[in-house]
Amino acid sequence: MTLERNILLALLAGAALLPFAVSDQYILHLAIMALFYAVLATSLNLVVGYVGEFSLGHTAFLGTGAYTAALLSTQAGLPMWITIPLAGLVSAVFGFAIGAITLRLQGPYFVIVTLSFAEVLRIVANNWIAVTNGPMGLAGVGQNLFGDMAVTDKAGFFLIVLGIAAVALYLSYRFVYSNAGRAAVAVRENRFVAQSIGVDPFGTAMQAFVLGAFLAGLAGGFYAHYISFVGPEVFRFSFMATMIIMVLLGGKGTLIGPLAGAVIVTVLEEYLREMQELRLTLFGLIVMAIVLFLPNGLMGFIALRREQQAPRPTLNAAKERTV
Amino acid sequence: MDLFPQFLANGLVMGVFYALSALGLTLIFGLMRVVNFAHGEFYMLGGVSGWFVTNHLGLDFFSGLIVVAASMAAVGWLVDRFLIERVRGQGEEPGILLTIGLSIFLVNGTLLLVGPAPMKVAGAVAEGPLFFGPVAVTKLRLLAVAVGIALIVGAHLLIRRTRLGAAMRATFQDPMAASLAGIRTGHVYAATFALGCTLAALSGMLLASIYSAQASVGGLISLKSFVVVILGGMGSFAGAIAGGLLLGVAEAMWGGYVSMGMVDVIGFVLVILILLFRPQGLFSIRTERA
Repeated sequence: MTLERNILLALLAGAALLPFAVSDQYILHLAIMALFYAVLATSLNLVVGYVGEFSLGHTAFLGTGAYTAALLSTQAGLPMWITIPLAGLVSAVFGFAIGAITLRLQGPYFVIVTLSFAEVLRIVANNWIAVTNGPMGLAGVGQNLFGDMAVTDKAGFFLIVLGIAAVALYLSYRFVYSNAGRAAVAVRENRFVAQSIGVDPFGTAMQAFVLGAFLAGLAGGFYAHYISFVGPEVFRFSFMATMIIMVLLGGKGTLIGPLAGAVIVTVLEEYLREMQELRLTLFGLIVMAIVLFLPNGLMGFIALRREQQAPRPTLNAAKERTV
Repeated sequence: MDLFPQFLANGLVMGVFYALSALGLTLIFGLMRVVNFAHGEFYMLGGVSGWFVTNHLGLDFFSGLIVVAASMAAVGWLVDRFLIERVRGQGEEPGILLTIGLSIFLVNGTLLLVGPAPMKVAGAVAEGPLFFGPVAVTKLRLLAVAVGIALIVGAHLLIRRTRLGAAMRATFQDPMAASLAGIRTGHVYAATFALGCTLAALSGMLLASIYSAQASVGGLISLKSFVVVILGGMGSFAGAIAGGLLLGVAEAMWGGYVSMGMVDVIGFVLVILILLFRPQGLFSIRTERA
């Protein structure tokens, strides 16, 4: 717990120095995207890793946040410091509504229904031309932070997304180590035992779900301003696939895992970009390889190695090895 | 109102293909409990390989259908033996991820090989409408529907009347007891997956003879198949057929009377409503709750 907190603090401090050390715009863009995905992966991890239900509809919240920020900016001309938090709040409201329906379901049903919600929102965004401008999307989202003060360079955007990431990690950290977070883990491990000691599975899952939706909305709001364009693609399954891969590659149910996953996948996607069409084909193969050979993600692998190297094998280590 | 029979006919035609594809998924998802996100890609592969054998190898439609069925059954068998088997019994998550990876691989591998252009499977008969009172149906559609129905009946007989079918039913009732009784459950799982895969692929090939096959069509088909399976009830054979027809007709009516753009919403709204009010599916006798 303290180790995790110290690592996170060190990472954030290190990241804050990056724009002063690096002036290469391309590397800064990569770093911004990595942090954006880190926020998304962290928010998805709250549902997948701590509630233990597999949500495939997380793009619903990303997209809602992005459209909220884009509409507030293009229609009302509001600056970023208002639109991004509002994007988070609107997503949280959506999270509450969707969660109230979906969290009653479990297993494959939960998976399909969350996915259905994301698809419904995508189709609505594609067809409700009066508001969303349909497939053309909303272009020219403003880039002003306060009033007329515009963010013009990548370093500025980097600091903003770093701030969002810090908020996301702080809230996740506080949630995970609160009673509600521990209750969520208890439900994840054994629903019936948790219920028998008085944990309300629906309520705890709801807290994590709404928090996850809020954070994804923040990320979506940032995305709208940074890219300056929002189209129905934000609801696409490919975003979802990227998020899941990050969470599972890094290791779900840990706070550092999704961060590591986000950085690795962003860099990997960029590196494979040189191979053009082969890129996604290889990406698919890599995903399958992770599932088969690294089922608990990188953090699980590291934990396993540490236990193996410990002088006397504990019962836990023996159990891990057979998994 | 005079267009109603036409919409109904169009909906039923689409419904047969939804049913065929969902029948494959109800075996894989309903019985084997693999949340198979690559299902639409098997459908897509059926269409693309159908195009390949009819247009490039010069086979006629029916021998092409047999070649596609055999090769997709082999693909399904191998996928199960080499991939799905390794995550069996570990819950849904690894299976979901594995099939998402597989679907990304298959879509982009296909794009790499044949490109994004639509591909038309050479049909068995000429285009040309037949009139039944106010309803016009092309001969091609009628033939494809007939083949689809024959395949559904064939799959039903395979499951109900053969030794393999009996082994499947036994395995999904109780895998442990089945293996104690001498059933090689590993083979049964692989055969079921292969059958599911083949049904999806044949549905894809039949539909590609009416419309056309495209490498990127899979995602939506996967989702619609899931919708149909949930509509009909998990693992229910009759439910998948009824659900498929229902979805086809609902989409045709919505597209005809309300708006064309939002047609794809129907299925998702239906599934959300079903899970809220009748989570065991519309037609399921077994009371398996979500």
